[in-house]
Amino acid sequence: MSAHPHPRAIGGRMFDPLMKTLLAIFGVSALFMAYRFTAGIGAVSNMTDGFTWGIWEPINVVVFTGIGAGAFGVGLLCYLLNEGRYHPIVRPAVLVGAICYTLGASSIVVALGRYWNALLLPVVPHWWNLASALLEVAICVMAYVAVLWVEVLPSVLDGAAASSSPRWSAFGRSWGPRLARAMPFIIALAILLPTMHQSSLGGLMLIAGPKVHPLWHTALLPALFLISCLSMGYGAVVVLVTLLRYAWSARHDQKLLAGMSKVNAGLLIFYVALRLADVAWHGKLRYLGWNFVTFVFFLELALFLAPAFMFLSPGVQRNRGKLFGAALLSVLAGALYRADTYMTVYRPAGWSSTGEAIPSAWQYFPSLGETVVTVGMAALGVAIFLFVSRKFPVVVVDATRERSTLGGGRIRAAQSR
Amino acid sequence: MDNLSQIAALVANGVSRRDFIKVCSAAAAAVGLPAWAAEKMAENVGKKKPSVVWLHFQECTGCTESLLRTSHPDVGALILDLVSLDYHETLFAAAGKQFEQALETALHAGGFVLVVEGAIPLKDDGVFCVVGGKTAVQSLKECAERAAAVICIGSCASWGGLPASAPNPTQSTGAPEVLAKLGISRPTVTLPGCPANPYNLLGTVLQFATFGTLPALDEKGRPKFAYGRVIHEDCPRRPHFDAGRFALAFGDEGHRNGFCLYKLGCKGPQTHANCSLLDFCEVPGAWPIGIGHPCVGCTEEGIMFGKATQPGHADTIPIYTNLPVPPNVFPPIQPEHRVVSGPESSTLSGPIAVGLGSAVVGALVGAGVVATRKITTDSEKVQPKE
Amino acid sequence: MSISRRDLLKGAVVAGAATAVAGAAEAREAVEPSPDAVGMLYDSTLCIGCRACVTRCKEVNGLPHDRGDGEYQQPVDLNGSTKNIIKEFKDGEKRALMKQQCMHCVDPSCVSVCMMGALHKEGYAKRHLEGERKGSGIVLWDKYACTGCRYCQIACPFNVPKFEWASAFPSIVKCELCRHRRDERRSDVYGLANPGCCEACPRQAVVYGERAALLSEARRRIAAEPERYQAHVYGEKEGGGTQVLYLAPAGVTFANLGLPDLPDGSSAQFSESVSHAPYLHGVTPIALYAAMAGAIWWNHRKDADRHGKEDE
Repeated sequence: MSAHPHPRAIGGRMFDPLMKTLLAIFGVSALFMAYRFTAGIGAVSNMTDGFTWGIWEPINVVVFTGIGAGAFGVGLLCYLLNEGRYHPIVRPAVLVGAICYTLGASSIVVALGRYWNALLLPVVPHWWNLASALLEVAICVMAYVAVLWVEVLPSVLDGAAASSSPRWSAFGRSWGPRLARAMPFIIALAILLPTMHQSSLGGLMLIAGPKVHPLWHTALLPALFLISCLSMGYGAVVVLVTLLRYAWSARHDQKLLAGMSKVNAGLLIFYVALRLADVAWHGKLRYLGWNFVTFVFFLELALFLAPAFMFLSPGVQRNRGKLFGAALLSVLAGALYRADTYMTVYRPAGWSSTGEAIPSAWQYFPSLGETVVTVGMAALGVAIFLFVSRKFPVVVVDATRERSTLGGGRIRAAQSR
Repeated sequence: MDNLSQIAALVANGVSRRDFIKVCSAAAAAVGLPAWAAEKMAENVGKKKPSVVWLHFQECTGCTESLLRTSHPDVGALILDLVSLDYHETLFAAAGKQFEQALETALHAGGFVLVVEGAIPLKDDGVFCVVGGKTAVQSLKECAERAAAVICIGSCASWGGLPASAPNPTQSTGAPEVLAKLGISRPTVTLPGCPANPYNLLGTVLQFATFGTLPALDEKGRPKFAYGRVIHEDCPRRPHFDAGRFALAFGDEGHRNGFCLYKLGCKGPQTHANCSLLDFCEVPGAWPIGIGHPCVGCTEEGIMFGKATQPGHADTIPIYTNLPVPPNVFPPIQPEHRVVSGPESSTLSGPIAVGLGSAVVGALVGAGVVATRKITTDSEKVQPKE
Repeated sequence: MSISRRDLLKGAVVAGAATAVAGAAEAREAVEPSPDAVGMLYDSTLCIGCRACVTRCKEVNGLPHDRGDGEYQQPVDLNGSTKNIIKEFKDGEKRALMKQQCMHCVDPSCVSVCMMGALHKEGYAKRHLEGERKGSGIVLWDKYACTGCRYCQIACPFNVPKFEWASAFPSIVKCELCRHRRDERRSDVYGLANPGCCEACPRQAVVYGERAALLSEARRRIAAEPERYQAHVYGEKEGGGTQVLYLAPAGVTFANLGLPDLPDGSSAQFSESVSHAPYLHGVTPIALYAAMAGAIWWNHRKDADRHGKEDE
């Protein structure tokens, strides 16, 4: 029995009840999306001129791509820092990344008012306004989606190589190694691009200075978003691998994940330190008091610190479930931070110098249509993951539940890259 | 004489009772008095027609001329049936000493209504207006001393008018000011205008004739029923003002379309008068704005002959903000935008949406907690030896 | 231990160096108003609330009537069919009127954030637009470059750009100083624009002209009647300066009128400085890519060699 199992296509019944449910949910949301295209955004959403991005930008784009940053984080560890033992989780992480980013990009099309002009974006570089952070996000994300799916290609080609059809198999066997040789250059891109756009996603709110609460608005927004996206990504990978273990008996290397989570802990603590230092340095501690904003601020910090300490505790490192719970918290922390920066502490009329929201009579809560579309997109993402994993070798499965043999650092090379 | 005999007398004189009542009704209606006033008028007038003495000083006789163009009642009915016009330089056929005798008789009787038309020059002892050997000041003094009430008709008599415009070489002054200087105090009504609208005079005189009272007056002695509002408030071109449609030059498209003349220097916003409501010469639209010329503020001292109206030199004047501006409601600086709650909310946006959103978040959190617990207990069952 | 202390230290050093470099990078310069910049001056003490400007704006811009829920169905705010509006501040007996429309900022946030330069200063669009002249400083919207992302709505501190929520093909709607009403034969300010609101106003409460001239006029009015005005011209420096200037009555603050209290520097300057600092004009991404690609390739080679040597 090989001590280093390969990923394999899960197979099994594609349209099981779970898949059907997910596709049904997506189907309902597709109806809402169709209605949006015919009747305008206002018809399905609660977005108004005061709260103009609703949840579609902050959640569907910013949070989903934060979850998809697992591909970024794992790629960084595995390829750049050459921690080869992370290979087995690269493929699922990259697939999740590709799916999350595709969902983000598709949601943007639904959320944009004049979406037809967005198709122009890549082909009119002479029209680009390089001062715009959103342009950077748009171009970078478009490129990154392509790169991620290219990173998924090895699974596809492996699946092709292993298939019974001779032509398909020949195709897979000839293109697989060629792609493998080009991979370093693609992976470098897959690390550079998210560095740029994840920090730009934080940079988007720099210009909304007066409207974002001073405790959140800082020149460090890009850095904070970058750090928290990495921790969201690592947390998401732990969650993913644990769920796959329960669903498909996928290989779940507790020590590996615990090790990765220690890196995550470092990031979480670094985030909190940076955030607090920045707030103190700029004299913003005076905004803390018995108010809603302070509650949210400390909730965020708690959500960042709790998993950090959990990851560093040996009890949690040994226990699959506790590690899973801590990882969930780290994803929630990053998601909350994003939701807060974009929505919770955003006020159209701004904040006064004493930290009170200037009344503006705009109100916002996601409408039925918006919630359904967001949930539907998430459901579609899961469905796509299920589909690809069943069809192509993405997930590494253990025939028996073995102990991890991390020992001498021997890593399976080449074919599973 | 009782009423019956009065009317009999009138009938004997060739005026039928019916005609007389008609005249009174028309007169009452013209100045907005209710129907019963016409009867009272007929009653009282029958008793004794009030005596009216009309003096002319520095004037153009335009006010008399406009009076001549009334029709309800017409001036004939007025001076023959309703008042006893005992002295009027324009309308009297008599002249010379006979004429002056009429004035003496009226003065001797006293208790008359003195109507003053024209301004009174004060410079050099008033030598710039001498009628029948007497200066205007002297005439005014003599007549006002014996009068029951003084009515100043026209802007000239009210505050000086045209003769008083700069540089005012003869020191023309309005009658009320002169009377104050002379120390004569009488109930004084001013009816400015150039010319004054004759119906304002008729209304005042007939009220006095019927009830013996003068209408309510403002601080300048102007009857409030005629001078209580500014032209701007009742102008038929007001909707154009409110909509921002202005004539910018005489003859331009805006002007031809009858747009507001404010930007050509219309003084309507500060001119108290009722010209838009009461036509001159019985011709609808026969008033300055009606024919396309900005109001020059002829009733207002300081505006008429004081502020320019020519295009290119138009002095636009402030508009008082306490005048009603329909609709007098403005949105607040931060207006209401209720989407989630309130009448605007629908199924897609309101409480159901809030419920669903909260449920989704709750479900996710709940699922996370349940999954964590389950996986934890599972992993604790199988002790990993790591 | 999975990650060695050495690796962590290396990472920290790199992060620190990056931050230091970012800090040392040049900040984006402040934008000065163009000498030919045109704008408007609104004097709240002169406004009588006749709303001739609101109606005229609808007329000359071909905007539909509002079926709003204000009294008499009047619009209550700027929206997808209202580019100009009069609002009232009321506090007991104190009352002041406020005209709201695009401020035509000197260094607009909306222009900074617009992805393809749909919102741009006249003459400075990314794509060539016929007939636009540089220097007027008017902020215009180009429907062919707009993706409807609505980032401009987030960026604008005055919440000016509005969106057509009910349309399947929505536009961004905002005052463009009636540039389309300009008389090109003229060489004065009316050759650049001719705002309908200024033309309609019966009290000259809002006037059009060169920003520099309007600023002096505003100062002159304050000096001439200091008891009548707030001793400050809003828009001279706020948010980097705006080309539409405001005078408020004494006793009424600009915040009362809904004008936000902004620092003197523009948000665009801050945002662009922070965002662009790490990029060093594109050197950083390229250098980083080259370094990483090299490292990853090297790691790949090392592993391939090592596994080539071992027997499986």
